[in-house]
Amino acid sequence: MHSLNWTSRVISRALRSSFSTLLETATNRTGNGSVKSSSSRSPTPTPQRPHFVSVVCGFAKDNLRHKYKPGKYGEDSWFKASTEQADVMGVADGVGGWRSYGIDPGEFSSFLMRTCERLVHCSHFNPQRPVNLLAYSYCELMEQKKPILGSSTACVLILNRETSTVHTANIGDSGFIVVRQGEVVHKSEEQQHYFNTPFQLSLPPPGHGPNVLSDSPESADTMSFPVEDGDVILIATDGVFDNVPEALMLQVLREVEGERDPVKLQMTANTLALMARTLSLNSEFLSPFALSARRNNIQARGGKPDDITVVLATVAI
Amino acid sequence: MSMLAYAESATSSSSDTEPDAQVDFTTMLVQRQRGCESGSKLHTTDADQEQQEQDQGYYLEQYVLGVLDFSSQYGIDYSISYTASNVIGRPTKFPAYGDYPETFTMRTYGDWWQRAPSATRDIQPQNMPPIDTHDYIVVYFEEFVVPTEVAIFETFNPGAVVRIWAYSMTKHWHCLWEATAKDLNYLCHDSRRFAPPLKKTSIITKTLRIEFNHSNLNYYTEIDAIMLCGRTVSHRRIQNLLGKARAHSQTQISLAASALGSSSTALAVGHGPISCKLRSLKFQPICRSDNNADADPVTGACKKFINDFINNDLSQFLLDNRLANEMVEQQQQQQLQEMQLTPANVHAQAAARRICLTDLPFEILLKILSYLDLQSLFRVGQVSRIFYDISTHPLLYVEINLKPYWQLANSELLCTLARRATILRKLDLSWCGGFGDVSPTEFKKFLTQRGDNLTHLRLNSCKFLNASCIETVGIVCDNLNELSLRNCATDPPLLNFSCLVNLKNLERLDLFQTAFETELLLSMLEGNRKLKHLNLAFCGVSVNMDNVAAHLANYNTQLVSLDMWKAHFLTARGLQSLSHCHQLEELDLGWCLREASLGDGLYQLLVNCPKLRKLFLSAVRGTTEHDLRHIAQLGKNLEQLDLMGILNITHERVYDILIHCPKLQLLDLSFCENIMDRDFDILADWSRLFKVNIKSSRIYDPR
Repeated sequence: MHSLNWTSRVISRALRSSFSTLLETATNRTGNGSVKSSSSRSPTPTPQRPHFVSVVCGFAKDNLRHKYKPGKYGEDSWFKASTEQADVMGVADGVGGWRSYGIDPGEFSSFLMRTCERLVHCSHFNPQRPVNLLAYSYCELMEQKKPILGSSTACVLILNRETSTVHTANIGDSGFIVVRQGEVVHKSEEQQHYFNTPFQLSLPPPGHGPNVLSDSPESADTMSFPVEDGDVILIATDGVFDNVPEALMLQVLREVEGERDPVKLQMTANTLALMARTLSLNSEFLSPFALSARRNNIQARGGKPDDITVVLATVAI
Repeated sequence: MSMLAYAESATSSSSDTEPDAQVDFTTMLVQRQRGCESGSKLHTTDADQEQQEQDQGYYLEQYVLGVLDFSSQYGIDYSISYTASNVIGRPTKFPAYGDYPETFTMRTYGDWWQRAPSATRDIQPQNMPPIDTHDYIVVYFEEFVVPTEVAIFETFNPGAVVRIWAYSMTKHWHCLWEATAKDLNYLCHDSRRFAPPLKKTSIITKTLRIEFNHSNLNYYTEIDAIMLCGRTVSHRRIQNLLGKARAHSQTQISLAASALGSSSTALAVGHGPISCKLRSLKFQPICRSDNNADADPVTGACKKFINDFINNDLSQFLLDNRLANEMVEQQQQQQLQEMQLTPANVHAQAAARRICLTDLPFEILLKILSYLDLQSLFRVGQVSRIFYDISTHPLLYVEINLKPYWQLANSELLCTLARRATILRKLDLSWCGGFGDVSPTEFKKFLTQRGDNLTHLRLNSCKFLNASCIETVGIVCDNLNELSLRNCATDPPLLNFSCLVNLKNLERLDLFQTAFETELLLSMLEGNRKLKHLNLAFCGVSVNMDNVAAHLANYNTQLVSLDMWKAHFLTARGLQSLSHCHQLEELDLGWCLREASLGDGLYQLLVNCPKLRKLFLSAVRGTTEHDLRHIAQLGKNLEQLDLMGILNITHERVYDILIHCPKLQLLDLSFCENIMDRDFDILADWSRLFKVNIKSSRIYDPR
């Protein structure tokens, strides 16, 4: 019910700011000799405008069960999209606890990301409000004939070409890191209710609403900051942040600053993902996850086996 | 040299007497070349060469850039699932076949809605073409082209497209393709790229209108993309044509009569030589037998008899009569020679013996003409003074339906009809007046003159409606029984005028896809106690359905059908209020309630509304197994049941329902994941066994 009220509020707000998937009618449109398209589907901007050079890499937690499908790594999912106005990237991590209820956790996160990708190309996409993107994507869930249940965290990042600023929205324990000149300049905060229970967008099965943790997109953590040429941005799910210590990540990311060759970038992303994977399967290593567990009075040791998704991008202006 | 070239082009374009440019590229190119060669070759400037290149045009395939209008869609406006905006751009799912949300789906399929209690009868049914249009979508593209091909990518249940129209630069709609009965019988379960053979045309367009007819479809049809292929035209030419079109529209006097009287193709404005017009005039009455009349065997048989007579035997009858008359004349002449009467007398006698149509009594002629569709009626009026007097008699204009003539309807036509229709009772102006053909002032004048006795008024998808038009409706038409304002969604909502509260006799109110203010609706509900049919589908997020349901329970207990598709804010409390409407036969709660639990609501409803024949619970995910049990126990009269997307359905419950609902005709079990896992064929077997049409579509997941 809570999600129902919330979505209606968002939608009524959106309608009041007069948005509609139909373009504004124009009886004089047919009279015009040429029509400028507002959000064209052709993605390549002119080289002078700021854009991301981005690559993706990842591993599913159990490679054997999940056949590789583009756009997902196990229960994690990611998307990349670009329009004339903006470059958008995002990751989502499906909460695995649903499997015991017979619900595929990857479905929710995958749907969220696919819909975000579609929404980026819509006429009402606002490049300065990634929260709206998440919100509309979440609303779309309820308009599907096929019932999609589950929950997931999400992190969306938009580069607005006009102003060379990055707007982000993050719910849960996925996140991003921005590295400039060997230093971390921006980092997302992990949102958790309690240990190992992050904030999550969820759609519970009917009747179980009150029993399930469900956060609205409005509780997302938003940040906006300007970026410069050569900045490295890493968006990843908790599989990376819980296994790779920050110093190690910094070492890797520092080397690709200013890199515009996607091949080199891909190599670094692969390195990072492999690092996370190896460390997650290592049972002795004191990973960040183990450290935070100990802070919560849980004797843990070793990495945390989890799906790993790495979206690595450099800003080129 | 350059002056010569431009002069050449000027003459070539002004040689087009018709506004629709006869674009003959080869001749144009040849002329250009001749023009270039006649001058000195040394003086060929860059401008000329550019012009040559531009005028040649190139073959262009383009996908939809935007959607201007549509009559209905499955999804709600702000969504991108199953909505009209999915037609934009390249096809996303084609050639995959299945029920995908990234496509354009319309609200209805098959003839189930015609069988439901809320079905309406056509006004002036003889106007309807043999293949009716149920839905349409108007899309526009980026570049003007001369269309050579229109391809429609259908990814689910193909076969619904019946007409393709193109809007030329001269502000006329041209029908590029029309389906025959054969085309509608396409039954294939595979996606297809539908590109029918278009009429050869030379109009320049970038706006298309696609019309659909669902009656043969098994389930929803879904369109992924529309592609327009054609040759482009140079920009200069376009500017020329635009200028001429503007000048033309200022000077033309388009009489409505001539618009309907002449043929319905490009020469609708009455241009062209008279001999052309006479050649194209054909008096072919379209006698459509009224479906309801068939129920009464006497009138049905009579109508059929008249149909057959007029279509097959009339010409023969007249011929025989003429022959008989000639024989009589010959006899008379013989008698004459014997009796030697004066030729004048003979002539008078012979003339007196000839029987022709105009000798029939006025009432008979009126009755004959009453079977004619509006277009033929206007044409008959052009025959002679007598026929003009008969065809303009007000008794022939008691019901007026301009929906099949949406492309021809304009303010002048309304003016003409206003003169004739003095006792107008039913008016259907649906789909008319797009692109500014009908002015709101003219419509208001029409209503003020003739609207006081109106009982049925349908203004679906009328783009010319504005606030004052609705006010006029409210003030003038207080005898209204039926008011249909589908698809008038504008911002700000039209229906926030207290004038509509004046309507106290409404039995049917249709606000499908129209935004309205809740307060106004509530006061209208209070005022119209006899309300039987109410359609509030897609009414938007600002309406609190629980309040509406409470009002219905208090004031409108005669309610027979209610449609609340995709309404927000309906809870179990609202459902319980609805159970006070004991006469309910049709209830569409699709996509309402969402995850909210129904509580006791459905049980109360089923107990208190035993006449329920159609119940749609699409995606009401809170339906529990108990609810399904109740449906089986209490739904004795159920004919159509939609349980799409409900999670807790099991085979046992479905079997239960099939056994206990003997009148069931339609059962929609699409996307019920629980029963899809098992053998698909069980449902097919049950469908045959119980003679119920069971729908079970789902996304075919390629693994």
